[in-house]
Amino acid sequence: MTGWHVDDETLRRYVERIDSVAEGASVEQHVLRCERCRARVNTAAAAADLAVVDLDAVWDRTRGAIEVPRPSVFERLLTAVGVPSDEARIVAVASAFHGVWLVGVATVIAFAALAAKIGGTGELWFVLAVAPVAPCLLVAVSYDWRWDPALEPEMATPYPVLRLVLLRTIAVLALALPAVLLLGLLVPGQPPFVWLLPAVGFVAVVLAASTWINPLNAATTVSAAWFVAVWLTRRAYSPTEVLEARTQVAFLVLAAASFCVFVVRGHHLTQLRPRG
Amino acid sequence: MEGPPSDATLLVGVAERDIGAFRTLYERHAGWLALRLARRCNDSELVADAVQDTFVAMWQKPRSFRGDGDVAAWLWGIAIRRLVSRIRRRTDIAAAFGISETVPAAEDEVLLSVEYGDLGAALARLSPEMRAVIQAVVLDGLSAKEAAQLLNVPVSSVKTRLFRARAQLRATLAEGLS
Amino acid sequence: MNGSLISLRGVGRSFGATQALADVDLDLGPGVIGLLGPNGAGKTTLLRLLATALPPSRGEVRVLGRDVEVPAQRTEIRRRLGYLPQEVGFPRGFTAFAFVDYIALLKEWADPAVRHAEVRRVLNLVGLSHATTKRIRAMSGGQRRRVALAQALLGSPPVLILDEPTTGVDPEQRVTLRTVLAELARTSIVVLSTHQTEDVAALCERVVVLDQGRVRYDGAVTDLVRRAAGRVWLADQPDPAATVSWRTGTGRYRNVAAQARDGVQHVEPSLEDAYLLLRADRSGTGMVTR
Repeated sequence: MTGWHVDDETLRRYVERIDSVAEGASVEQHVLRCERCRARVNTAAAAADLAVVDLDAVWDRTRGAIEVPRPSVFERLLTAVGVPSDEARIVAVASAFHGVWLVGVATVIAFAALAAKIGGTGELWFVLAVAPVAPCLLVAVSYDWRWDPALEPEMATPYPVLRLVLLRTIAVLALALPAVLLLGLLVPGQPPFVWLLPAVGFVAVVLAASTWINPLNAATTVSAAWFVAVWLTRRAYSPTEVLEARTQVAFLVLAAASFCVFVVRGHHLTQLRPRG
Repeated sequence: MEGPPSDATLLVGVAERDIGAFRTLYERHAGWLALRLARRCNDSELVADAVQDTFVAMWQKPRSFRGDGDVAAWLWGIAIRRLVSRIRRRTDIAAAFGISETVPAAEDEVLLSVEYGDLGAALARLSPEMRAVIQAVVLDGLSAKEAAQLLNVPVSSVKTRLFRARAQLRATLAEGLS
Repeated sequence: MNGSLISLRGVGRSFGATQALADVDLDLGPGVIGLLGPNGAGKTTLLRLLATALPPSRGEVRVLGRDVEVPAQRTEIRRRLGYLPQEVGFPRGFTAFAFVDYIALLKEWADPAVRHAEVRRVLNLVGLSHATTKRIRAMSGGQRRRVALAQALLGSPPVLILDEPTTGVDPEQRVTLRTVLAELARTSIVVLSTHQTEDVAALCERVVVLDQGRVRYDGAVTDLVRRAAGRVWLADQPDPAATVSWRTGTGRYRNVAAQARDGVQHVEPSLEDAYLLLRADRSGTGMVTR
């Protein structure tokens, strides 16, 4: 710019830090604007073996800091509750945890709750039909291969699929069950926990059924069947009949039996089923 | 053909997540930044951390460079503040009081102009403490609060020393002129 | 049987009424084995069986002496396996580094420092060291293919199953990838399918040609090429006697015929010529050697 550049002697004194304040100041001001002298400072500092820091080591650390993906909010949530960070990563990859699905399910539940509030007990059957099956639909999405773009490379790894499915199921339940409970609080007439067993039971049925058919097919079948059951009960008795003590026991048995089937047949999940 | 890409062009590459462009910027700037930081802080570990922080910050917010002026000056502005915050984390100074106050720049411009008498000699006559304050505030553009953290002294001392240093410099320069 | 790393005995695979693979017997040893065949010939199905991604409907598949149908042995195979599927999707928002790192996690690389170094190594191998932080969805098809290949190379596994590794990859990168694969083949068995006969010619000593789920040829690449000797010639016009002919870079026509032909300017046959002849001769039954 001005034709002025740092001369070699000044440069040497600057790098060796034996310059005066004024000299150092003018070198520094100049270096901010002059590419050529900047390069000379770099070379001189490196060549004189006066490098104060190991720039290669700093580069490695810097590169690591920008390359290694930062954990998502959901991942950090999982680690906060004690899931090891590696497994939190593996769990969080599932598309079920990618916003859209959570928002979708939350909306349905909220809509159902609203309907119950507005319509009184007359519309309660709708809440009853939707809320208990929401978790099992989410679980299905969390490991259905059609929603998992990277399924084939994942499948060829030694990571135990059963463990993966269970971890994702637990993560879904941890998110969905509080929502179901909250809904139970809003709906009059029943203690909120009566909603839990059906929800858990359906999840277990979907897990078991997914050792034969695709999880999402299983979940939609279960949901449809439940919808019909609630609809029919609504005609005959009061809609909350399906949550009575007798049915609670039935759900408990269903959950336990299904879970056993899932564990025994789990190895069927470890390979593709293209016509599932 | 055109020469090697400018820093600003490389920064666009960084915004597009090009780690090659990032590496080139590191090669161009890490050396002098580390050296200049080391002149402010004797702890080479802190300097290394500050260099890393600077480039990570550049990677995360390459668009905070507004395109006016030099990328080098922008980087230095990040680097010296990263060093300050590293030092603050280390020493954990309770810098609760002290208002961040920017020093009027016009007067400093005059102080820095080389035609204005023998500035070098005038600076040399300052005590090391006052020289450090002048360096931090006038040359590095830090606020009084940031300078206090860099030098590990209370903000009030920075202000007093700065006031005294300016007065002394003015007097010495006036002496030299007459 | 002895010395073979991969063996298939009477292997078949059906999807509903469709027979994708029928009666396949193969013994594969070290080196690079190329798999050629038209679309729908069963290449992908065969590779999926070898990669333990799909169970066979009939017969027995053994990889490194282990049965793919026994869960515990399957896991043991997977510990020694790199698999590049024909199509790989990527989770939303992932960078190249994040994706390969994720697969490395599933492959039991627990120590973060070691894992990250390995992820960098394989991304470097496929020529993506400058794009590790790029989002995969913003990449070109060829780059994505290389990201997918990188995950298969993690840990330099003794068994590599690659379904069309060079599809969509530009010519320069393809040459680089061949070097990488040739290097790996010194210690591993590499089974790859491709539509590029040049890939097979450049990489493989052995080639398996599949058609309609059956093995049509299995043997040395040189033997297959030798069959086309005396059947390939150059002329100024497409020759009516030729089975196939096409214009070459010099503007002349390359003619390939099922019958040997005299009185023409014969040229050295390529694998592509030999493959086309094999495809043309679909009625032949004596083609399977070995």
